Amino acid sequence: MTELNSNSQPSASSTQTRYSFTQRVIKDTFTRWGARIGLAWIAILTVVAVFAPFVASSFPWLISQSGVVTSPLLEHLSLADVTLLMTFFTAFFLCFTQLNLEKKAIILIAAVIITLVAGSLTINPPKLSIYEHYRTLHQQGDVDWVIYPPIPFSAQDYLRDYGDTGLEHPLSKNDRRHWFGTEENGADVLSRMIHASRIALAIGFIATGIAMSIGIVIGGLMGFFSGKVDMIGMRIVEVFEAIPTLFLLLTFVAFFGRSLYLMMVIIGITGWTGYARYIRAEFLRLRQQDFVQAAISLGLPLPSILFRHMLPNGIAPVLVAASFGVASAILSEATLSFLGLGLVGEPSWGQMLNQAVKSSSFNWWMAAFPGGAIFLTVFAYNLIGEAMRDAIDPHLHKS
Amino acid sequence: MSDNSLPLLEISNLKTWFNAHDANQSEIVKAVDGIDITMHRGQTFCLVGESGSGKSITALSMIGLLPKQVTSHPAGRILFYPEHKQTALDLLKTPEQQLRTIRGSQIAMIFQEPMNSLNPVFTIGDQIIEALLLHQPELSYEAARMKTIQALTDVCIPNPEQRIDNYPHQLSGGQRQRVMIAMAIACEPELLIADEPTTALDVTVQKEVLQLMKDLQRNRNMGLLLITHDFGIVSEMGDQLAVMRRGRLLESGSVQSILFNPQHDYTKKLIAALPHNLQQHKPEYSPAQNSNQTLISIKQLKVWFPIKKGLLKQTVGHVKAVDEVDLDIHKGQIVALVGESGCGKTTLGRSILRLTEPTAGQIVINQTDVSELSRAEFRPFRKTLQFIFQDPMSSLNPRLTIATTLTEPMAVHKICDTQQQRIDLAVELLEQVQLDASHLWRYPHQFSGGQRQRIGIARALALNPDFIICDEVTSALDVSVQAEILQLLLELRQQRGLTLLFITHNIGVVEYISDITAVMYQGKIVEQGLTDQVCTNPAHPYTQKLISAVPRIAA
Repeated sequence: MTELNSNSQPSASSTQTRYSFTQRVIKDTFTRWGARIGLAWIAILTVVAVFAPFVASSFPWLISQSGVVTSPLLEHLSLADVTLLMTFFTAFFLCFTQLNLEKKAIILIAAVIITLVAGSLTINPPKLSIYEHYRTLHQQGDVDWVIYPPIPFSAQDYLRDYGDTGLEHPLSKNDRRHWFGTEENGADVLSRMIHASRIALAIGFIATGIAMSIGIVIGGLMGFFSGKVDMIGMRIVEVFEAIPTLFLLLTFVAFFGRSLYLMMVIIGITGWTGYARYIRAEFLRLRQQDFVQAAISLGLPLPSILFRHMLPNGIAPVLVAASFGVASAILSEATLSFLGLGLVGEPSWGQMLNQAVKSSSFNWWMAAFPGGAIFLTVFAYNLIGEAMRDAIDPHLHKS
Repeated sequence: MSDNSLPLLEISNLKTWFNAHDANQSEIVKAVDGIDITMHRGQTFCLVGESGSGKSITALSMIGLLPKQVTSHPAGRILFYPEHKQTALDLLKTPEQQLRTIRGSQIAMIFQEPMNSLNPVFTIGDQIIEALLLHQPELSYEAARMKTIQALTDVCIPNPEQRIDNYPHQLSGGQRQRVMIAMAIACEPELLIADEPTTALDVTVQKEVLQLMKDLQRNRNMGLLLITHDFGIVSEMGDQLAVMRRGRLLESGSVQSILFNPQHDYTKKLIAALPHNLQQHKPEYSPAQNSNQTLISIKQLKVWFPIKKGLLKQTVGHVKAVDEVDLDIHKGQIVALVGESGCGKTTLGRSILRLTEPTAGQIVINQTDVSELSRAEFRPFRKTLQFIFQDPMSSLNPRLTIATTLTEPMAVHKICDTQQQRIDLAVELLEQVQLDASHLWRYPHQFSGGQRQRIGIARALALNPDFIICDEVTSALDVSVQAEILQLLLELRQQRGLTLLFITHNIGVVEYISDITAVMYQGKIVEQGLTDQVCTNPAHPYTQKLISAVPRIAA
């Protein structure tokens, strides 16, 4: 893949602007309106997910108590929050550097590992979170001044100090502003949704990423070598297709407890078969194409033939499938939450929908907002998938 | 029977335009732009032109098979004079319902590809009988069946009584095309349109099919509109000839007058580009000084494909694609490998490059037997052996720029140290194949077929090989482009001292380009020798049949 980027050095012999394949695809994808809208939504979601504790938290940004200014919010940041922030900022700054993809990836991974190691030694948030602590202080007048986050309620803050606050309509009380209302336990719906966007994004990206990488490698080898490799590969595919994901998840939850990461991995390693089938079919077709035969007869190494000459020509159906895959991973998580196998305490969009279904009366705000978020996210992924499929095809490329 | 004073068909000022709707602009493609053709009964009218000249569109306009949404005929008439009616019919203005009764019964059409034009789920008898009953409802089923058998007999299908119940896949390509002709003539049309009827067929089969069409046309006094790109066929079949380019008729008249006394520059160029006319301009090259040095020696090579059947995929037999072939290729020679489709010539070429694994035998390159080497051990040899593919559309990776296509193999084989040097070398290669340096940053779909084939040649040259296998490199190209590519190959051989194995079915090309000719038949090489000798004085009966079947321009 190093070759790919080295083409971008300008030469005196041509006047046209030159891009490598990847650069051109990315550029083309995001000149399309659909993809821009989709990307905008995903970007908002990403920012919101990364900065969730800053946007929605019961802990004030800054508080001044008898002249001493502290930040309870920063004290309550967990290791996961810090790692996410670190990853985000590293990635953000790497975007503006001229390094190639491999180096960027290495720096990013290094940054994450350093944060994790250093963080686990230094970051030590209080075990017990008393959400109403600062509110009470404020009301008692024990503080000089206080700056709250835009949504001054944590996801798991059930507002016990206010008494029974369950199932309040959006914006129904003037003293406490709940933009999206409260759920039956009294927690703020918007805050829960903001914190849940982390799970939605993570499960969509990571589960689909795992599934896609396994699927592309196995499917690619099956399609390229065909014959015996193909036969064994297809039997493996059939074995994995026969595994009921839900029961596997049930078993794992029973043995290892509830874990988001376990869920991602299981959805990933049971979901790759579809991608493998697509890639296999595409590779079987491409293998007979003259340009692949030409690549073989030029003595190019196998990884180049598979991933440079064949994959870009066969990736289109996988990308479209992946955009649906992200959506279905989000829905899988919702299903699990519905069955009561989701995470305890931590909110997720699916679990919120489930709450709305189980509630005795119909509370529209509990269904509409998380449902809308799921819909928009799925829609955004589809828009990006479509634009990418068009961009990857140079026949549609305006020259 | 016929009234020769009235023409059969009169096309005047025909225009067929397509509206190519884009998101932003609508563009009009003038596929046919004002042509005039007059055809008489019992005459063969040939329409010749290169791809995209509008010759097929003309035929499809006549029978109204073009998609209605995008087609418009801003001007022109197609007057058809049916035999028993006094009035002429303007086919462009005839309503669809009436056109449907004319199509098949009075005007029939034969398409290029016999594999696709028969419905695979019906027997050939059913398909012909259906057409017959549709146009002649007064016939009983038995009578229609008798007529069908008669038609199959007419097109020389052996055992028509049994063959009538066969499915298309049980017939060979040539037989299928005969069935198509039988279907077309069963209703005794007055005009038969044949659109490249033999292009997909082997040359010996082509000869039989053409002979058959000629006889049928004579016997029935049909008009035959023959669309072709092959001047040999024109010379053997045609009475009248029209040359088309970009939707316009450049020249029309009798076949003899145009072939031997062309007026228009384009016609002159086309005729001069025929391989047998190129002969005079062939650059002098004598490989004699080093021709005794063997570059590649193939010994008893076998490529057998197992036929597997049953649940456990047991091998029940073999398709002997290449069977005990011996071939020596000397340095600096152009060896032509000739044969019909399915004779194993491409498999032989591919097995030299190990794109297909040989079953047994030796391939000796520079004193090394490469047939036993592992893939990794063979990799260094890939640098010296190259392949140019038949189809310029599919032989270039559509996702990569020409620069990447050309420089990647150089990088893998460590030619030049920096990418800039490789790009400079790629520019040099493009210039050698007469392309421009600015083409380096384009994608394959931005080139024409001939240009792509040049890029394919440049890619083969990128590693500076000694030996190149050219697999039907010109068969997807128009005749004038073919001439340019052949001349380019000859020049390159001279400049670089290349050795070529030229795989083709086109005898004309063989005569032009090659020093040595090897004739392959059913997996074996039946004859090899100097090209002049093989082509003028063939020894093997199959070679004799092959050479005599080539349509030539006869004086």
